[in-house]
Amino acid sequence: MIRARGLAKQYGVAAVLRGLDMDVRSGERVAVLGLNGAGKTTLIRCLLGLTDFTGNLAVAGYDVRKSGLAARRAIGYVPQRPPHFDGTLRDIVAFFCRLRGLDADGVRAQLEELGLSVKEHGDKHVRTLSGGMLQKTLLGLALAAHVDLLLLDEPTANLDAPARREFLRALRSTAADRTVLLATHRLADVEAVADRLLVLHEGSIAFAGRMRELWDAVGADITLWIQVPQDRRDDVERHVATRHAITTVLRNGSAFGVKIERSRRADLLGDLRREGVMVEDFWTEAPSLHDLMEQLLAARRAAAENAE
Amino acid sequence: MTGARAALFVRRELAAALHARWFIVYAALFLIAGVLLAAFGMGNTMIYGYRGFAKAFAGLVHLALFLVPLMALFPSAASVADERESGVLEYLLAQPVSFGEVYAGKWGGINVAMLLALTIGFGAAGAVAVMRGVPPAFVLAAYGFVLLLATAFVAVGLLLSSVAASRARALTFGVVLWFLLIALGTLGVMVASIRWGIPERVLLVWSFVNPIEAFRVGVMSVLDPDLSLLGPIGIRLVGRLGSTGTAALAALSLAVWSVIPGLIGLRLFRSHV
Repeated sequence: MIRARGLAKQYGVAAVLRGLDMDVRSGERVAVLGLNGAGKTTLIRCLLGLTDFTGNLAVAGYDVRKSGLAARRAIGYVPQRPPHFDGTLRDIVAFFCRLRGLDADGVRAQLEELGLSVKEHGDKHVRTLSGGMLQKTLLGLALAAHVDLLLLDEPTANLDAPARREFLRALRSTAADRTVLLATHRLADVEAVADRLLVLHEGSIAFAGRMRELWDAVGADITLWIQVPQDRRDDVERHVATRHAITTVLRNGSAFGVKIERSRRADLLGDLRREGVMVEDFWTEAPSLHDLMEQLLAARRAAAENAE
Repeated sequence: MTGARAALFVRRELAAALHARWFIVYAALFLIAGVLLAAFGMGNTMIYGYRGFAKAFAGLVHLALFLVPLMALFPSAASVADERESGVLEYLLAQPVSFGEVYAGKWGGINVAMLLALTIGFGAAGAVAVMRGVPPAFVLAAYGFVLLLATAFVAVGLLLSSVAASRARALTFGVVLWFLLIALGTLGVMVASIRWGIPERVLLVWSFVNPIEAFRVGVMSVLDPDLSLLGPIGIRLVGRLGSTGTAALAALSLAVWSVIPGLIGLRLFRSHV
């Protein structure tokens, strides 16, 4: 569906993409993960033909540079920030139906499936709709156009937590048969949507593979929070520290948090159960993207030194 | 480029322009001032005859000279920059449309909006003028020049909008340009001529390079065959090129202004999304 070879983009003296080679197969859901400035949005702009670039780039078999129109016909796009259209929801839907030659009833049905009623909200000016509703509208328009490829550029970045969960749920349930390229800096979005991820760092692919493979590659620790009765907390902490050689890093009321490898989480909790510790609750926190990138880059440096 | 998609963008832009408050205000101002000028400014045409109505009609032409460029600059200078700022432009261009279709739609839509507003405004004033004795052919010639002036400034506005970083900057550039072109019209040319002794040939060329001056010279050479309204530069021009030649060259200048900035704007539009 996407084939890039030596894709490079430079703004002045700053190289934003540095000769990317990437393939996304039809039906795959790929997340492009990276910190701000990693090149995610530039990659999407290249795919849409919105900016010039060097190298080769094809979408659905069409060369983006030579056959941009045909390539864009295969793409449905949801930007980070919903465009500030002027008009009612009905006006906007009608315009894009005419532009893409879509059946208006089909679009309305698609929006209903995403939980957005044109009948109820159609006469509202789009600027009065929530960010979540607007993003769903754009997703609905893309899905109704029967596009092969959904390009999502940090679509949840400006949504609050409930709206984010709702958007991701809608995406999972309605885009099952589409190829998805999701640019994001949220690990939670990656885990919710993607089969595979590409980690971009300073315009280069720092990692390509599955999420689990990324954890394996970097050995990134999670924070495991364990909540026990307040009067047992110190004892349990001591037990965990001695038996598992883990030091408590955080405390919050009757809960304490420890940094632990993801794969050792079940062992630790199983051990506490065997010891008769009453675990009232537990939850995990993924490392921040920043921590993950640091660990990934450190792992790459170590691998390169070993190879030498 | 398909006509259907471009027409869709023309309709969209036209609707946006006709809903804009500024556009309605300018169009109404042009209509009211034009009709008042035509009705009351031509009171003496019967007394002074041909020369009288030419002078009176010149008031209407000068009203157009000041207002029409602004009317055209406001929607066109805002057009691209506004949608770039709001994220609409990027989303539109992410659809299966070409840059040319979007740009042509903007160009066409704003021009159609201008055509409607000027036809109503100038048409009403022109009708009053004809009723007061101005020959219809003169009104039609002036109307043609007004449309050319509007088209030229739509193209200039789109060029500014394509390169400006924001809507506010595009509008500021537009107003500053309008002011400079007005200031460097007849008055500026005369001052420059006296102060710095600029060669006559340069001043004559400038009359066609400055679109506002080209409009004035062109329409006055048609309206005022005895040249009293043209000023010294205009008189030299008519002396060299004749009345028809001056009008034709002025029209050509405005036509060039209608095309070249538009094409440059399209080229820059592609690289400034």
